[in-house]
Amino acid sequence: MDFSEMNHQGEIRDSLDRILVEHCVPENLKNFDAAFKHDAELLSFLASQGYLGLGIHEKYGGSGENLYDLGILFEKLGFHAAPLSLIGCLAEVAQTIQKFSEHESHQALIASILKGDIHTSAILEPLNQDPENPLTRAEIAGDKLTITGTKYLSELASISKSLLVSANSDEGVLLVLVDKEHANVSELTTTANTPAFKVDFDGVSIDRSAIIHAQGRGLEALKYLLQTSMVMRSYLALGITEKMTALIAAYTSEREQFGRVIGSFQAVSHRAADCFIDLECLRLVSQQAAINLNTNHDCENDALVAKIWAGNACHRISYSAQHLHGGMGVDKDYVLWRYCLLAKECELINGSASQNIDRLGLNITANQ
Amino acid sequence: MGEMLIQLSPKQAKLKEELQEYFEGLITPDLQAELRDPEHFEGGGPEFKKAMRTMGADGWIGLSWKKELGGKNLSPMEQYIFVETVMRTGFPFPFLTTESVGPMIAEHGSDWAKEEVATKILKGELFFGIGYSEPNSGTDLASLQTKAIRNREGYLINGQKMWTSLANFSDYIWLAARTDFEAKNHKGISMFIVPTNDPGFSMTAINTLGDVRTNATFYDNIHVPESHLVGQPNEGWSLITSQLNLERLALVNHGPVEELYKNVLSLAQSTKINDNQYLIDLTWVQHNFAQVYSGIEALKLICWKQTWIMESGRLNMAEASVAKVYGSEFFIEAYRLLMEIMGELSLLKNDSELSILNAKLERMYRTASILTFGGGTNEVQRDIIAMAGLLMPRTR
Repeated sequence: MDFSEMNHQGEIRDSLDRILVEHCVPENLKNFDAAFKHDAELLSFLASQGYLGLGIHEKYGGSGENLYDLGILFEKLGFHAAPLSLIGCLAEVAQTIQKFSEHESHQALIASILKGDIHTSAILEPLNQDPENPLTRAEIAGDKLTITGTKYLSELASISKSLLVSANSDEGVLLVLVDKEHANVSELTTTANTPAFKVDFDGVSIDRSAIIHAQGRGLEALKYLLQTSMVMRSYLALGITEKMTALIAAYTSEREQFGRVIGSFQAVSHRAADCFIDLECLRLVSQQAAINLNTNHDCENDALVAKIWAGNACHRISYSAQHLHGGMGVDKDYVLWRYCLLAKECELINGSASQNIDRLGLNITANQ
Repeated sequence: MGEMLIQLSPKQAKLKEELQEYFEGLITPDLQAELRDPEHFEGGGPEFKKAMRTMGADGWIGLSWKKELGGKNLSPMEQYIFVETVMRTGFPFPFLTTESVGPMIAEHGSDWAKEEVATKILKGELFFGIGYSEPNSGTDLASLQTKAIRNREGYLINGQKMWTSLANFSDYIWLAARTDFEAKNHKGISMFIVPTNDPGFSMTAINTLGDVRTNATFYDNIHVPESHLVGQPNEGWSLITSQLNLERLALVNHGPVEELYKNVLSLAQSTKINDNQYLIDLTWVQHNFAQVYSGIEALKLICWKQTWIMESGRLNMAEASVAKVYGSEFFIEAYRLLMEIMGELSLLKNDSELSILNAKLERMYRTASILTFGGGTNEVQRDIIAMAGLLMPRTR
């Protein structure tokens, strides 16, 4: 048993804080509230400093395969409300290719991501409750695949060079790398103004070599992708809720009513304490999931537990924060509102708490 | 520093296995039958006393004690595993006597106390009731009024204690009494070993919702010699609080609730509700199990982390309180969700036809409320979390 972080992990945390606190000041964040929410300048700075290689094997120029390290990046991006949506690129695409691809051409894409290029995923489908079983089809004919289907909530698809797509085929589930030029990409507008896109594949014909995994390992690779995504989304949620809880503590320790700071009322401090408890739970289940996913590529229950806690913590802490801030919480000149919108996205993407409870319930009752 | 590692070490896993095997042998059908009797839920019966002496002889008492005091000096993590394994079996091991009072007496007691009391605790021959709370001193324990007046031969004790559990079969009370009446609340308290066979000692039973017996105990001109004082006069408060975090953590150990979850899961898997379906096939039943599972995972991690913090000799007040609040409130929720699964069958008592799991659910839910206020009420724990964890101002 050892809950301590390694030295380099503490250093990553501190240096990311230094970079992001300087970069994500309100004046800068404001520029992205209505516009395309992607801070290209920040991305290239993070790339130049090597932060996009967190969790990536040294042979690609990364810091070493460790999802815990990558988790720190997402936690910090969440904490500072950074205008960067990188779960598709760094967690889903880079990690899955690193674990499952044997082709040098696919692996080359990891180096491209480390340089700051975007290669994103196109996995989720409207109204498909089971992402392990895509509605998108890949018809196989000799050396060619023809892909037809609609994906959505694909992050940064408009500026992505390629898209990692999940599809069903006669050979089962496949993960396929498709050049962005082959897809029809249209912008969606989400609650937190996340750069999310609808992606249509209208009978796109590509080479069979675009499949990133060995034959028969498609489902395994997709499951890994989804679990990694869930766990990294939980870290993002951790950062968001950490910040909201810190804002509660700071604000209620200053705001005075009835001649005393409101944080000295038990009704207020106890609601804050409940946020702290949720936060501790979310931190621990996220850490457990990341560590277990490092050594075992299928830890679905751990990932589900993390995402269930993420969904619940995002919801509860967000509304506690809004309530305890009074009108300040909804004032767009203060910082809290952005976190509330991000929290709602984190809560629902990768499965809501209720949906994941359903899945977890199936798993734990079926295994024996 | 190595990689973060959230699992038992091979040595710890082996200890757990060893303990499991040991308890399987220790808990005979006779003992099981005795523990089902409400009179003996908390121990005190002949089979219980026999099992305690066996544990003493086999060296399983005093695991937390330092080696020089006759113990095994187990680390906090090993102690946690011990508590977990014992609690899973349902055996009412008297942790407060053996792991809190015992080592304090062995370390701070008089020669008499060390020889007569501590050694017998290690042998499983002696039991203590804890005399802290009073009718007017609960959460605000430092306001206690039981008096111990110094005289030439020792101390004269007068007062009343509440919730003195186990007093009905204990040999002594571990008693907190006021010895300095001028000093500020917690600075005038001393700790005494008070024999229950003194003519000035009496008690009345308090029967509780959970059918667990506790007692009101009365101390009427009880004279104890100086050798019955433990530690320095007026310095009892530090003894009371010295092991509070370890005690609180034992209260919310994840073992029993995980055991109950497993029991109900296997029952639901084997319970047919019609020709084609088992209880487990119902979606809402699966959801209830999943809620309990995700709650247990968090509890396990909180407890492990807290134990690991103690292992390194540090103290994190906020996280200790998180464990207490989260655990005690989760138990209540978990019992509810598990009872819902078995529905009305959960209402049947142990002696009833059709009762399930020896009516474990029916019994456990009735004991759930004591942990949210006992062991440091959750309001105070939340105050601590806000102050120590979030650096918020002191509440009034």
